[in-house]
Amino acid sequence: MSDKDHSSADDQELVRSAQKGDMGAFEELVARHRDKIYARALSMMRNEEEAVDLSQEAWVKGWQRLAQFQGEASFGTWMTRIVINLCLDQLRKHKRQRTESIEAMDQESGGVERQMPVVTVNPTEGLERTELRQRIDKALAKLSHEHRTVLVLHEFEEMEYKEIAKAMECSIGTVMSRLFYARRKMAAILTDLRKGEGQ
Amino acid sequence: MEFDAQLKLQAYLDGELPAAEAREVAKFLAQDQEAVLLLGELRNTRQALKGAEAMVQLPESREFYWSKISREIDRVERPRPVEQKRPFIFRLQRFLVPVTGALAVAVFLGITLFSNSGTVLGETELATEDMGAITFRSESEGMTTVWLYDRGDSELSDEPAPDSVEPQ
Repeated sequence: MSDKDHSSADDQELVRSAQKGDMGAFEELVARHRDKIYARALSMMRNEEEAVDLSQEAWVKGWQRLAQFQGEASFGTWMTRIVINLCLDQLRKHKRQRTESIEAMDQESGGVERQMPVVTVNPTEGLERTELRQRIDKALAKLSHEHRTVLVLHEFEEMEYKEIAKAMECSIGTVMSRLFYARRKMAAILTDLRKGEGQ
Repeated sequence: MEFDAQLKLQAYLDGELPAAEAREVAKFLAQDQEAVLLLGELRNTRQALKGAEAMVQLPESREFYWSKISREIDRVERPRPVEQKRPFIFRLQRFLVPVTGALAVAVFLGITLFSNSGTVLGETELATEDMGAITFRSESEGMTTVWLYDRGDSELSDEPAPDSVEPQ
């Protein structure tokens, strides 16, 4: 690690230094973006330990692939894509290990959501920012991995259908139906949480 | 409402439809109240999620987290010992050396054991009390000879020796 003070340098300068092998510059990048990378891993995995491990793995991969970073996207976005791919790999491993339950298959095909009545009242209207965040987090935790992932990638990462399809190794049609069911289920859960609030 | 129409409605909301199809959906919405309600629900959910991601902090200190990453980087970047591609004969050597050694020992033993007209030399063990000894000293030659023998198996005995040989 170099003794040079990197705190005043911007991300681009730090990336250039890190590409030349300056570990101090890379450490500064880690310090700046570590919460975001960890948050993305946690939102997908819903497990702190796994999220810490995967975020670390992402940083190691980031260092190894630093030469490939051309700066088309921001460094933070580039690193986020790396951790997303690692999380998707991990989720695929989990899926292979667990037996598909009838409930999971039903979630995938949207058997329940298809029958749900449309929520006409906005269940998050008037909520404070902090309260809204907590509620969204609670609702996301109730979704299946597939539905949560597609929502995270579309709403938080602002990825297009085709980008999500590529990352999740599925068709655009699958992305569209998963996103549809995930949104419908979120609306129902948020409505339930709102109703529970009054009791 | 057909499922495909519902998905098209969602794609319209997400700006994923080509302009011509988007115009068709807009026309359809003007006539279908159910579609308007569904679009409203999808839009509300989308807006609720925008920028509402939970604020999370890594539950580890900067130093500890970095120490694990830098240690892992060191580990993966450490050059691995390269296993040299050695010629076949060198790889064969690993097996040839012990086999040749064992063969050499076997041949040596065979030659040693069967060298005297095919008779096998036996191992002889003698206790001290079974042994006799005769010593001969030649002053003129400056030489002493000690003859050890088995009392039970020898023609020699502890009887007084011939004149020329004096037991000591």
